[in-house]
Amino acid sequence: MLLRITHETRYDYAPAVGTAQHILHLQPRDTSRQHVVQHQLQITPEPSQSLAQTDVYGNPMSYVALQTPHEALSLVSRSVVKTLGAVAPAAAALSVSWESVRNRFRYQVGARYDPAIDHVFASPHVPRHAAFLDYALSSFTPGRPLHEAARDLNARIHFEFRYESHSTDVSTPALEALQQRRGVCQDFAHIFIACCRAMGLAARYVSGYLLTSPPPGQPRLIGSDASHAWASVYVPDDQEGPGHWLDCDPTNNRCDWETPGEDYVTVAIGRDYADVSPVRGVIHGGTHHTLAVAVTVEPAGDA
Amino acid sequence: MENERQATSQPLTIPERLAAWAEPAASGHFNELRGAPEPGQAQTLAPAWSTFFEHVGHEGLNDLNQRTRDLQRQVRDNGITYNVYADPQNPQRPWSLDLFPLLLTQQDWQTIEQGVQQRVQVLEKVMADAYGPQRLLHEALIPPALVQGHPGYIRSMHGVTPVGETRLHIVAFDLARSPQGHWWVVSQRTQAPSGLGYLLENRLIISRLFPHAFEAMQVQRLAGTYRALMEGIRQRSPAGAEAHIALLTPGPYNETYFEHAYLARYLGVTLVEGSDLTVRDQRLYLNTLRGLEPVHGLIKRLDDQFLDPLELRADSTLGVPGLLQAIRAGHVVVANAPGSAFLESPALLGFLPALSEALLGETLQLPSLPTWWCGERAALDEAQHRLSTSVIKPTFPWGLPGNPNLESVLGRGLSERAQDEWAGRMARQGEDFTVQNYLPFSQMPTWHSTMDSGRLQPRSVLLRVFAVAQASGRWNVLPGGLARLAVPGAEIASMQRGGSSADVWVPSQENPHGAEESETTTASVHVPASASFGIRKRLVTSRAAENLYWLGRYSERSENSLSLARFSLEALSGENQHSRSLLQWLYDLTTRQGLVPPGVPHPQASRRLFERTLIASLHKDDWTSVGYNLRALRQAASAVRERLSLEHWNLIDRTEKDFFAQCDKLTQQGDAASIEALHLLDTINRQLAAITGAQTDRMVRDDGWRLLSIGRHVERLAFLSSALSLAFASGGLDQPQKDDAVYTGLLALFDSTITFQSQYQQNRSLPSLLALLVQDTDNPRSLAWVAQTLKGRLSKLAGSGAEELDGLARMVPSPASWVATAQPTRDSLTTELQNCLQAIYTLSDAIGARYFTHLRDGEQSLGF
Repeated sequence: MLLRITHETRYDYAPAVGTAQHILHLQPRDTSRQHVVQHQLQITPEPSQSLAQTDVYGNPMSYVALQTPHEALSLVSRSVVKTLGAVAPAAAALSVSWESVRNRFRYQVGARYDPAIDHVFASPHVPRHAAFLDYALSSFTPGRPLHEAARDLNARIHFEFRYESHSTDVSTPALEALQQRRGVCQDFAHIFIACCRAMGLAARYVSGYLLTSPPPGQPRLIGSDASHAWASVYVPDDQEGPGHWLDCDPTNNRCDWETPGEDYVTVAIGRDYADVSPVRGVIHGGTHHTLAVAVTVEPAGDA
Repeated sequence: MENERQATSQPLTIPERLAAWAEPAASGHFNELRGAPEPGQAQTLAPAWSTFFEHVGHEGLNDLNQRTRDLQRQVRDNGITYNVYADPQNPQRPWSLDLFPLLLTQQDWQTIEQGVQQRVQVLEKVMADAYGPQRLLHEALIPPALVQGHPGYIRSMHGVTPVGETRLHIVAFDLARSPQGHWWVVSQRTQAPSGLGYLLENRLIISRLFPHAFEAMQVQRLAGTYRALMEGIRQRSPAGAEAHIALLTPGPYNETYFEHAYLARYLGVTLVEGSDLTVRDQRLYLNTLRGLEPVHGLIKRLDDQFLDPLELRADSTLGVPGLLQAIRAGHVVVANAPGSAFLESPALLGFLPALSEALLGETLQLPSLPTWWCGERAALDEAQHRLSTSVIKPTFPWGLPGNPNLESVLGRGLSERAQDEWAGRMARQGEDFTVQNYLPFSQMPTWHSTMDSGRLQPRSVLLRVFAVAQASGRWNVLPGGLARLAVPGAEIASMQRGGSSADVWVPSQENPHGAEESETTTASVHVPASASFGIRKRLVTSRAAENLYWLGRYSERSENSLSLARFSLEALSGENQHSRSLLQWLYDLTTRQGLVPPGVPHPQASRRLFERTLIASLHKDDWTSVGYNLRALRQAASAVRERLSLEHWNLIDRTEKDFFAQCDKLTQQGDAASIEALHLLDTINRQLAAITGAQTDRMVRDDGWRLLSIGRHVERLAFLSSALSLAFASGGLDQPQKDDAVYTGLLALFDSTITFQSQYQQNRSLPSLLALLVQDTDNPRSLAWVAQTLKGRLSKLAGSGAEELDGLARMVPSPASWVATAQPTRDSLTTELQNCLQAIYTLSDAIGARYFTHLRDGEQSLGF
């Protein structure tokens, strides 16, 4: 699928911001299931410095510094991405039990190192807590293949939690969302990750976009879509080699190998939201500010 | 012991006397005083201690209580403090230092020095690998839980080779001596190790208390290590020898702030807080009076997570946004590179022997205490069986979300049930816990004063030694250290928990070879007051500039309010006490200056009530009393302590303390009250004169001093203008020939009585008064002189373009011209004085806007 994405972010400040520095994750990355055909980032006002960098997870990242007073900051990211559907894993990955994966990450002298272990540990938005373990346990029954357990967890979060936009903001801890059984896609992804990690597994956070289908008979609403987030759990196939990631989107109860589907676009991958926040920054001034975000995902050539 | 001396016919030798004084070390602890245990020689002292006490001599031994008092006075005078978090009421506690140094032998030192050099190499390589190829992780030589799983591992530093390629510039190791007399590593500190300043102070004080022993034992000097550190940082910085280096402190509320200020002064580097710094174009700059000055090196005393709100903790207000960008771009060298905290985990100790083999191909020379990380199955089993002879430590720093709030727990003290509970906890969350062999630390003698004598009391000691990266690429181990002493009877040495410290003496090599020799045997200067390491001109940060300006203003304001209070008290009982205009003037001036609370009854109604209120208000701090000003003076000074001489700071500190202590004792009623208060004000006035004298005579005339002086003159101009203007308003200058109370009062307040009398004798004309108090450019209390000086200082102040300079200097009023133009009238002068006051306020704001702009005010983080 060829998708065109327009992601607009606008901050309005009062009083004006004097100087600012931002770290941006607005450029989709290449993955095994997608290729970025085109990308352009337009920043207004013109920054005094703008550097394209790559973060520790291989995500494209921009460092932007503004040294002149500005009352608004506009970031428009335009991309065209060719996406592929999920890929079938080696058969062994389907039978590997969650315990064997957990054991693989337990340290012992001479143990094989798997870089995915970086996603086993707690991270700023996904702290360790017994409540996650309690919630996860019914999905992770003894001997169950990991991918089955993950699909079950994914479905449970989808059906047991209420999706409520504005019920949380980016700083809502996953724990609070778990206790209230409600949240937004970001919270669900964090809860999914926290549950997997509580079981000793590697899980990561994926920020991206989703092609939302319009209700029948209505035109696609431009700008109504938001950026999306889901999670991904690591399923090695017991052999040498990098293993597979099962992408799970609890918000929509979608789940498949390396991508939830052809209608998904991955922007960045990290341990949690903090690693891949689309716009993070420190501003000087701008005591009051408002943020407006608009995302449009449409089939390229469709318009 | 007095009895023992009488019982023997021969006088005791010194070692015998000592041996008799000394309490035995607790059972199972190595006794530093006696050295390695040798059967049958129980009463002898270890050779080093023997030598030490022989040089102290009989006379010295009789004098230990006096020396202890000297020591305590020195600590107080030097203002050495340690902030205690637990005590918000009185957070500054005097540094605790014991009289005797810990004496190490050459053999001890050789073991320690070589062992530490080797260990720091291993740590540097472990860190380089963890942020580079991660070979050690791939080979399972180090568990990922202790690297990526450690909250101190900073992912955004992965793949970054810091400029200069060295990550660890300062590493501290805590060592303890086992009952068998061997040294063991207990822990290591890399993030922001403290002690390098305190140990210098310790050396300064103790070497002076035992000059003969210090000389005779050829104690190794410390300055070389600090020089090596600075050279190392400079060489690795992008600017090389020209590098501007700063010490980054979390600020005055940090527990070891004293040390930050002290070290900055000693090393000759700028002491900065995060808000003094800014990043532009991935380069680090300091906000100074002269504008932005590049910074090429940072010695940081800030924990890593607070360094950069852009990429690390977004809520940190102590750091510098963009600092990691500057580090990654190689534009600044940071000692130590961010991300070293994972090396501090006690769990790492258990893996270091294998790491040393893998990285250096060497066996560790200096062993660490047997340590088991419970995240490893085999180690967990071992650890659970050893609980009763071990210490349980948190693997990760506590207090972080999701980590257990745990301090070290001594297994020995636990009941069987508690041990079982711990074993269970370890089975569930093994990676959180590290179990370390319990080691009874060796005990060193400390002097315990009693009323008429004293005794040697053994206390458990933990030795902190430091390695610094020198220019050659090797590490220099400081020949000495910080000995930390547990409270008597306790096992764990902690400055937070009331422990003490001791100097550490390392003897020079008997057969010296190498370049250090000349330095180690040079006598006379023990520790230079400041190591002059070829420092470039000291910069004045905007924050320091602001504090210096206010230091100047509060110094002057304190003096003025004090003189006014004194003058008022004298006048209220003086021969002019019935002059209505005098009372009016006093009332106006004291209320304007805030010496009495608003609504105080007019002295014309009740002189006594007014007087009592004035006295009672001297130290009230809800208005601008004398006490309030002295306190503000002290606060401004404490913020720029590293720029003030010790004497200067002590004077300020003591003046404030004396004032409040004595105010509490003042009689509140009766005729004596006024006399007592006057006496107190006189005393404080003399101390204030010494403070302002130190400011005038003892400070380097740099831009910082200029701002202090500008502050003083701004304040003086305002005060004198007020006094004169209100004198006119009171009517007291209308007929000075009839009632000269205000006239002479003005002369007194302007400190010009003697000058006036020598020039004008008993003349009471307005023109002669104005000539001296307004126009005279030789009288340092005349408005014209003050204004002229202020202009001069402003025009010498650097950092602004010629236009701005002119702008500020032009804002200074010109009192000399008021009288010269025409015959001044009361009204015209009052107007001039009102304009003058207005001009001063405007000028002060303009100075603030020009020089004290805080680049980082109102900063906030978005989208984290």
